Amino acid sequence: MNLWIGVGAFVIVALVFLLLPLWRQKSALAGRHNEIRWPAVGVLGALPALTVGLYIYLGAPDIIKEQALTQAQANYDVDGMVKALEDKLKVTPNDAEGWYALGRAYIAFERFADAEEVLRKATVEAPKDAKLIAQYAEAIALKQGSLDGRPLELLMEALEISYEETKALELAGLAAFQKEKWAEALHYWRRLLKLLPKETEHHEAIAQAVVTAERKLDLSLGGTGMKAPTPPDEPKKTPH
Amino acid sequence: MIPELGHVALIIALQLAMLQGVLGLAGATRGNTVWIAMARGAAGGQLLFIVAGFLALIWSFMVNDFSVMNVADHSSRHLPVQYRITAAWGSHEGSFLLWALLMSSWTVSVVLVGRKLPADLQARVIGILGLLSFFFLAYILFTSNPFMRLHPPPANGSDLNPLLQDPGMIIHPPLLYMGYVGFSVAFAFAIAALISGKLDEAWARWVRPWTLMAWVFLTLGIMVGSWWAYYELGWGGWWFWDPSENASLMPWLAGTALVHSLAVTEQRGALRVWTVFLSLTAFALSLVGTFLVRSGVLSSVHAFALDPLRGLFILVFLCILIGTSLILFAKRAGAVKTAGDFGTVSRESALLAGNVLLLAALATVLLGTLYPLILDALGLGKISVGPPYFNAVFVPMMAPVLVLLGIAPWMRWGRESLPELLRRLRWQAGAAVLIGSVLPFAVAEWKWQAALGLVLAAWMILSTLSGLIARRRATGTLPLAAYGMGCAHVGLAVGVIGMGLVSAYQSEKTVAMQVDDSTRLGRYEFVFRGAEEVPAANYSAMRGVVLLKQEGKLVTTLAPEKRIYRSSQMTMTESAIRYGFFGDVYVAMGEPLEEGSWSMQFYLKPFVGWLWGGALLMALGGLLAALSGRNKGVNE
Repeated sequence: MNLWIGVGAFVIVALVFLLLPLWRQKSALAGRHNEIRWPAVGVLGALPALTVGLYIYLGAPDIIKEQALTQAQANYDVDGMVKALEDKLKVTPNDAEGWYALGRAYIAFERFADAEEVLRKATVEAPKDAKLIAQYAEAIALKQGSLDGRPLELLMEALEISYEETKALELAGLAAFQKEKWAEALHYWRRLLKLLPKETEHHEAIAQAVVTAERKLDLSLGGTGMKAPTPPDEPKKTPH
Repeated sequence: MIPELGHVALIIALQLAMLQGVLGLAGATRGNTVWIAMARGAAGGQLLFIVAGFLALIWSFMVNDFSVMNVADHSSRHLPVQYRITAAWGSHEGSFLLWALLMSSWTVSVVLVGRKLPADLQARVIGILGLLSFFFLAYILFTSNPFMRLHPPPANGSDLNPLLQDPGMIIHPPLLYMGYVGFSVAFAFAIAALISGKLDEAWARWVRPWTLMAWVFLTLGIMVGSWWAYYELGWGGWWFWDPSENASLMPWLAGTALVHSLAVTEQRGALRVWTVFLSLTAFALSLVGTFLVRSGVLSSVHAFALDPLRGLFILVFLCILIGTSLILFAKRAGAVKTAGDFGTVSRESALLAGNVLLLAALATVLLGTLYPLILDALGLGKISVGPPYFNAVFVPMMAPVLVLLGIAPWMRWGRESLPELLRRLRWQAGAAVLIGSVLPFAVAEWKWQAALGLVLAAWMILSTLSGLIARRRATGTLPLAAYGMGCAHVGLAVGVIGMGLVSAYQSEKTVAMQVDDSTRLGRYEFVFRGAEEVPAANYSAMRGVVLLKQEGKLVTTLAPEKRIYRSSQMTMTESAIRYGFFGDVYVAMGEPLEEGSWSMQFYLKPFVGWLWGGALLMALGGLLAALSGRNKGVNE
């Protein structure tokens, strides 16, 4: 619906409220046309003009158009960027970072099979990049709906390369949590928590998860009152 | 789209308010029925468009339209839906829109219910209400527009003040505003009387129900606000003499004086000028209250709005409104014919004396509220005027009012013999003193606050009830208004019992507690069973578990919370209260200490609920009186 149609309808309703009493008194005012004429004409002229004038001065009549435009632009840009990236990678197929970016874009669009394919290419180009491997693991997990099997192997591989890979720590923790290995999950997530910048939503979410895991661990150790055992130390084989 | 239409609706309402004002007043002066009819139509249209604007704002909150700045500033995606609706009037902008909505509703009810009013009086009242409404709508549109847009919109809003995320705060502002705005009807009637010079018993009969209804709403609003402060602020206080509380107390005191003065004018035709003066005062103080709370000149728990320009706008309006009404009063009060002679000892003079005392008490509150602001404005330093001042000045001023309250209903209109009166009331007075001074021993040790409260309360209840019984015996029947009076006066007595006993006998204790620690306060034993984390949509809470025991037996489990609200990172204390007829047990969580132990606060609040129960009875009494006034209006 056009905004101005709505404005027009509102003005008409307002005029009905004002002029209906005049209409009702018409017979009583038979000989006194002047009394009716000028207030009626005044109101008919002034109310629509003032309404439009004040609204243009106070309101934001253009915002509806602007909102629609921004929305369209946003959609157009993302599609365009993905297309441009695909074209670019046809020319430079050994650009691991490029494949990685495209894979993340596919994940955002929930095209998991495509994401798996391009991230596999990324890991082929840069086999020792923990970030790419962890992302590849996530794509497979999203496609198959579970972290078990290949994703978990890849995550361990990524952590072998770098024990500070945040995505790998998060997913490894999640995998452990799903298997109800609370202490192990806590180990990965506490480690992750130290790496994440504070006061971010990500940090907060992980902190929440740590609390949940702590409570689960506490319960599994036989109810309240007992202190949670300190989690296992970091593996000695940490390469750093 | 919807917010823009809401904006247009308010712009149309603004113009209709102006037409309603000008056509109403001019129509009454020139006797032009056409203009008067148009003013009435404008009033109806205005209500419709303000409702449309208000619904548009609520809709914007419901759908999380953060392109509306008001929504982005006062809501968030995590906010539960009921608070998204109430956030619409939780903000400064929204609360003024609520004010405009209520004022427009009162106006339409004057149009509909007041059909039997003399046409010119009704037209003037509608006109004056229209001009008031015009001011509020102009204020909203030009300084506090709830439909300001943001482009591009933020991804999430900054959430509603956690203090307002509470059921008490959902109904407190509308009730309070219904009261404030309701006094505008009495104000409009008073101005209309001054313009026309016509003020008689019929006038008082018309004004009284409106004023009583406004007073009922204001009483309930203050009651809910006080109760909210009690359970929400976490330390069990129920009145703080905070400027924003005083802001609502002042119109209440003036309104209380007004309903009594109106009774005199209605019954006897006396005190007319005084009644007009009080009508002007009650509404002016409602505006002063709104100015104080909403302009940002205070910085207290209620003052959520800070914008000097807005304050200036209200201040200028206040000056114009109070100035015009006082000039009109000075020039025209002489034209209002006085009548109804009465003697020095009579019901009229007793009611007048009570009125004067109420206004004197009001003046002390006004002084205590404004004095620090004036000092601050003149750069003479910041001081805070708190309970010591008000307890020392206000309470002694109110005690004689309570004594008079017991006497006045026993007095005859016109003239009364003092020795005869004393003879009639000697038993009630003696019994009250006896009950009041002995009863504290039964509760606990003897304390003067308790004794004073109980003597006054016993006096009020005994003299009021015996007065009603005597009257019923004499005349064989009692009008509804008399029941209303009895109910309100007994309600006040009940409230006074609560105030006296809780201030004399409350006790508190703050203890650091580990899991399974216990502590004693009064007859109760408290066992702390630790605290656990309880997440919710928009906050996370540590919930303590406290077992309340009496003589070794478990009474109940209390669960106070300490909440941290996500968006604002504000910490809130949710107290846990076991309500009881003879008193409350109140537990609040302090700060977490090391090793899972907490600082815990325990309070015993004997008879505290009587405070609000009394206020409820007072409101009920006001309602009965208002209904009785309406019946009379219909019968004639």
